[in-house]
Amino acid sequence: MTTESNCETPSYDITCRMSHEAAALERLCQVVRVRGFRIAQMAVDSADGTLNIALTIQGKRPVAMLQSQLEKLHTVAEVKFAAPVVAAASRIA
Amino acid sequence: MNGAQHILQAFHHHNIETVFGYPGGCIMPLYDALVDDVSVEHVLCRHEQGCALAADGYARASGKLGVCIATSGPGATNLITGVANAYQDSIPMLVITGQVPSALIGTDAFQETDVLGMTLGIVKHSYLAESADELPGILEEAIELAQSGRPGPVWIDIPKDVLLAETSAAPAYAPAQPKATRPELTCAIAMLRDARKPLLYSGGGISLAHAEDSFREFAKCSELPAVVTLKGIGNAGKHSAHNLGMLGMHGSRAANRAVDECDLLLVIGARMDDRATGKLDGFAPNAKTIHIDADASEFNKLRNADIAIRGDLNTILKELTQAIRDTPLAINDWRKQCQTWRTTGGFQAADNEEPLAPITGPAFISQLSRTAPDDTIIACDVGQHQMWVAQHYQFDRPRHHLTSGGLGTMGFGLPAAIGAQFANRNSTVINVTGDGSFMMNAQELATIRRYNLPVKLIIMDNQCLGMVRQQQELFYNNRESHINLDDNPDFVAMARAFDIPALKIDRTDQVRRGIETILAYNGPMLLHVAIAREENVWPIVKPGGSNKEMIDETRRTAADKKEKIA
Repeated sequence: MTTESNCETPSYDITCRMSHEAAALERLCQVVRVRGFRIAQMAVDSADGTLNIALTIQGKRPVAMLQSQLEKLHTVAEVKFAAPVVAAASRIA
Repeated sequence: MNGAQHILQAFHHHNIETVFGYPGGCIMPLYDALVDDVSVEHVLCRHEQGCALAADGYARASGKLGVCIATSGPGATNLITGVANAYQDSIPMLVITGQVPSALIGTDAFQETDVLGMTLGIVKHSYLAESADELPGILEEAIELAQSGRPGPVWIDIPKDVLLAETSAAPAYAPAQPKATRPELTCAIAMLRDARKPLLYSGGGISLAHAEDSFREFAKCSELPAVVTLKGIGNAGKHSAHNLGMLGMHGSRAANRAVDECDLLLVIGARMDDRATGKLDGFAPNAKTIHIDADASEFNKLRNADIAIRGDLNTILKELTQAIRDTPLAINDWRKQCQTWRTTGGFQAADNEEPLAPITGPAFISQLSRTAPDDTIIACDVGQHQMWVAQHYQFDRPRHHLTSGGLGTMGFGLPAAIGAQFANRNSTVINVTGDGSFMMNAQELATIRRYNLPVKLIIMDNQCLGMVRQQQELFYNNRESHINLDDNPDFVAMARAFDIPALKIDRTDQVRRGIETILAYNGPMLLHVAIAREENVWPIVKPGGSNKEMIDETRRTAADKKEKIA
């Protein structure tokens, strides 16, 4: 990956609430990857059988497509997107 | 009652009468419970992939849930291709696998694989049952989930100790209420009325939603010119006057022309797969799009929809029909134009007049279509024969055409035919296959013999991987690479080794009698059909090309001649 291409890649902040079942996080990450995005930052906390996940993702595909794929997951209760910003190279993990 | 017995109880509760499986170490408690349960018919296939594909064929042919069972490790991994096949085509399936005992998970135990992890991308949902108490609830949820909304495979991985543990837990699961249809239907009807060249584009979603009758009523009432995807074949019925046939890479010239010229695409239960659309930039360039589907994630995925409606297709189609019935569409000129294209650009298989001539694929399939009974179910494999069936067999119902559309799984046809025969005991079921595909699950001949299923097997043998050879010829400068199968076994002798009678034909004058012979035989029978190696499927669109750039045999021959003269 080059810094040049990173500068042009939109970045999005997502929050996701899902039930804390086996492979829940893997399932979420797998969908993000397969649908054309990479995870730059991730924070997770759990309470009462629920996972609250904050993600920063980057990708050039329409993010609405990712949102509908995440919402389709059986264990996902809610997905919220903040407004997109263009990624700075320094934000790449 | 232990975990295994709870599984059987769930089967009874949901009227699951037939399951396809293969026993092994970690799933033994379930097989032990099956000994005392005569109301669940367990079909023993000869490979776990055969189990999954048979369950898939059962579900496609019946509209019911397909169920397959296997043990941990290789049993589970062998299921994967069949489950991926079901996922790609949205087939309702319940997959149950044994897992090593809970305490051994993560220790690289004998026959341990991380099934949950390795199957995330090919299931609608999956579970690792961590206790017997949660198993009844998981079963209820999984069975509901596999069949609701957009169907798909749901996988439950169950450690051996959970199968053995006693529990009195009762199933507790409240299905979510489906979201209400959005009010865009009125706008869609207005857009349909404004269009001068509207085209109905339907796919496999129609039968998945059990909306065949509603769709047919809408198609009849609206008299919209119509095209279908590979999985939508049969939606309109074989007598529909407005059906232009399959669109896409091997679609009819009429269908692709209509898509190119229409000003409105009414897409129902289709996901605009790349094999159907070709290059997206050139697909229906002048058309607005109304997209109706059970799955909102299909909207705007590959083509932006002007109006997108998510909901139950049955309900939506009935509402559309009512609106059109009240005021019919004024599109007679467009209908006439499409009729002209249908006459000149439909699929035509010329019967060979020369009795000693080699058999051609399209002519053979046309004869099969004319000869087989109306309730015949055709389970295809993948390759040239699959496209000849799609082009030249006249299907009256979508559930009569079983084909691996999304994944393109060679080896699908034979186990799928087995599943279809269990779902329709009195119907004629034919597996039309190629010499490449047949060898991928040939072990299931033993399953046909064991249960004395009257499945008919037709191998269209061109001694090579024909579709690959064709593309190498057309798009790789005729550089053939590893497609030769001229060392195939003697298929007639092979069938007979499984105690299945067989015969071989290789001339045009043998076709009709060959087909009539296998159809008349009371039991399984194999027909080995030798066809020419160099035969191609026409027309064809170059992968990644626009559907406007169809190559047909005439154009190809003309181009060759020009090249030679130059």
